[in-house]
Amino acid sequence: MQEEKKLEYLDKIKKFSVNVRKNILKMALSAGSSSAHIGGALSITDIVSTLFAYKMNFEKNNPLDENRDRFILSKGHACLAYYAALCGIGYISEEELNTFEKNESNLLGHPVINKELGIEFSNGSLGMGLSLGIGVALSSLKKKKNFNVFVVVGDGECNEGSVWEAAMAAPNFKLNNLHVIIDRNNFQQTGSNKEIMDLGNLKDKWKSFGWDTTELDGHNLTDLINYFSESDTINKPKAIVANTIKGKGFSFFENNNNWHHAVLTKSLYEKAINELQE
Amino acid sequence: MEINERNIKVWSTIGTRATFGMAALELAKKYDDLIVLTCDVSTSAGLDRFRKTFPEKYIDVGIAEQNMIGIAAGLASENYKVITTTFTPFQTARCCEQIKVNLGYMKNKVCMVGIASGLALGTLGYTHCSIEDIGIIRSIPGISIISPADGLETVKALEAAINYETSCYLRLTGISNNPIIYSKDYKFEIGKSIKLKEGKDITIICCGAVVHECLRASEILETNNVSCKVINMHTIKPIDRNVIKEAVKTKLIVTVEEHNIIGGLGSAVAECKSELKDTPAQLSLGIKDTYDKGGEYNFLKEKHGLSSEKIVNDILQKIKFQNEQ
Amino acid sequence: MSNNKKLQEIFLESLDIKEDKFNEGLKYNEIPEWDSIGHMSLISAIEEKFSITMETDDIIDFNSFQKGQEILESKYQVKFE
Repeated sequence: MQEEKKLEYLDKIKKFSVNVRKNILKMALSAGSSSAHIGGALSITDIVSTLFAYKMNFEKNNPLDENRDRFILSKGHACLAYYAALCGIGYISEEELNTFEKNESNLLGHPVINKELGIEFSNGSLGMGLSLGIGVALSSLKKKKNFNVFVVVGDGECNEGSVWEAAMAAPNFKLNNLHVIIDRNNFQQTGSNKEIMDLGNLKDKWKSFGWDTTELDGHNLTDLINYFSESDTINKPKAIVANTIKGKGFSFFENNNNWHHAVLTKSLYEKAINELQE
Repeated sequence: MEINERNIKVWSTIGTRATFGMAALELAKKYDDLIVLTCDVSTSAGLDRFRKTFPEKYIDVGIAEQNMIGIAAGLASENYKVITTTFTPFQTARCCEQIKVNLGYMKNKVCMVGIASGLALGTLGYTHCSIEDIGIIRSIPGISIISPADGLETVKALEAAINYETSCYLRLTGISNNPIIYSKDYKFEIGKSIKLKEGKDITIICCGAVVHECLRASEILETNNVSCKVINMHTIKPIDRNVIKEAVKTKLIVTVEEHNIIGGLGSAVAECKSELKDTPAQLSLGIKDTYDKGGEYNFLKEKHGLSSEKIVNDILQKIKFQNEQ
Repeated sequence: MSNNKKLQEIFLESLDIKEDKFNEGLKYNEIPEWDSIGHMSLISAIEEKFSITMETDDIIDFNSFQKGQEILESKYQVKFE
């Protein structure tokens, strides 16, 4: 890609990610005492921004376009980033974002399927998204539509056996249009992965299952653009182990596992917004 | 496949599993967008011919039931007609949550076919029997449950299920030489039970391969001056409430199923009956909430009171008990 | 019609094959149509056309056209020339 073009994309993704972070904070604040899964949403924000602002093909004002690339948030509790990204591409309005976790809202603490809003599936029970991704990717190949499928899974989520059932199957089905991005923020609900269930070398694990595997910095937009600009030429299902920081973007959230699921007070919100504007 | 005497006899001989395989093959010829997923059970589900004839419509995910349901749901979300199949315990209990989330909650439409349900594989032990599946699936909103009584009903139920408005779970029971209930074509509709025999004293409500035992039992009961209505409640959910409303006009309701008496057909009937005023007692026959020693199918049916003779005995005892009160 | 011809016709009809796929040396699983399901179809038709009921062991042993003739002749009184 030309340097000029790359800088253009970088700028676009950066602006998109700032808006995503802003909206994550707003939704978390409005959730009040219901709490919000802030940490895990922030760790995937740059990945999600790269996908929605650069990599994925979709039609403006047409969430149901059959040829759209599909995004599946298997780690459904990180949905603040997902909703904010869907707002960023115009599928969800800012008014709708304000209904987060309100009674009978379309936007709950885990995604609830609503294809008109761009929410592909109801994820949240961990370990299920990659299987859905396989079904959708198979459909793309069978119908010769060749859209891409992107599944974001959590590192803790890789404790689930069902993830590995899917990991084993995708290379068998030669799903070259399927991507899994593992959000390697090193934490899960009650502690670090190392404390709870050490995952060992995730890159080696996915590679041994037959995936084309890359490890990169999940917050380095240049690395992300460089990867995704070439990824269509790889003829294997693709696993990206993205090293990330839980709570990335705000000094008092980063690597602080108390922000896995917590209440965002008004004062902390103000502090965070200020950091964002710097 | 033509519905004729010869085919009905073949389906009876080969049993409901292999009949399902044959029926699926015919459906693949008719529906371009049909896909069948299995967990390494092609031969057991009579799908070898299907696999060879339509390899592009056949997906084997290996022994990974949770993955199978997720993949099925993904395909269904892209408007394929999807059938999944494996042995019933693994088709229902193993991937229960995937069924709940993908089929119940998200309403992705899939037809799940559980083979060798109930006691069919009793010689392999209770890991391979299924006496809980109706109870499990019944409590997930949005999934219809059908248990065909014989080969022809299996053929008709399968096509009805893949075209139905909700996900379906087909519970196939019996072994080879499965007795014929329907010897010629008839109208099959999901949710509409079928009265196989008229009667005025008691009503037997049953489903699956034990329907045959119930018909035999009703003949024996006639010789004991007990007139039995026999209802094939092939659809356990949505249950046919109208027929239960009629049944409570008789003096006793008997439910018979190759399933735990907790959670299955008996419970579904009792739930419906409990809403009605002045109803007769209900005798629920089935496996009495136990995993016992294994054994061959007919031996286990006898042991769990599901042979026609045992059904007759239990009913006569219950009637005697009622009369003495 | 001779029983030999009758049995041949049963093979053609129940396995849904044309004459060019049939020969008297035909064995079970030699052609895709004569798999386990085809076999059940075949046995069903034989029982119907010869008015007999076969025993399980005989159904399993019936693994070729010629073996079939032997079984039918020795145990079910079906005479072949």
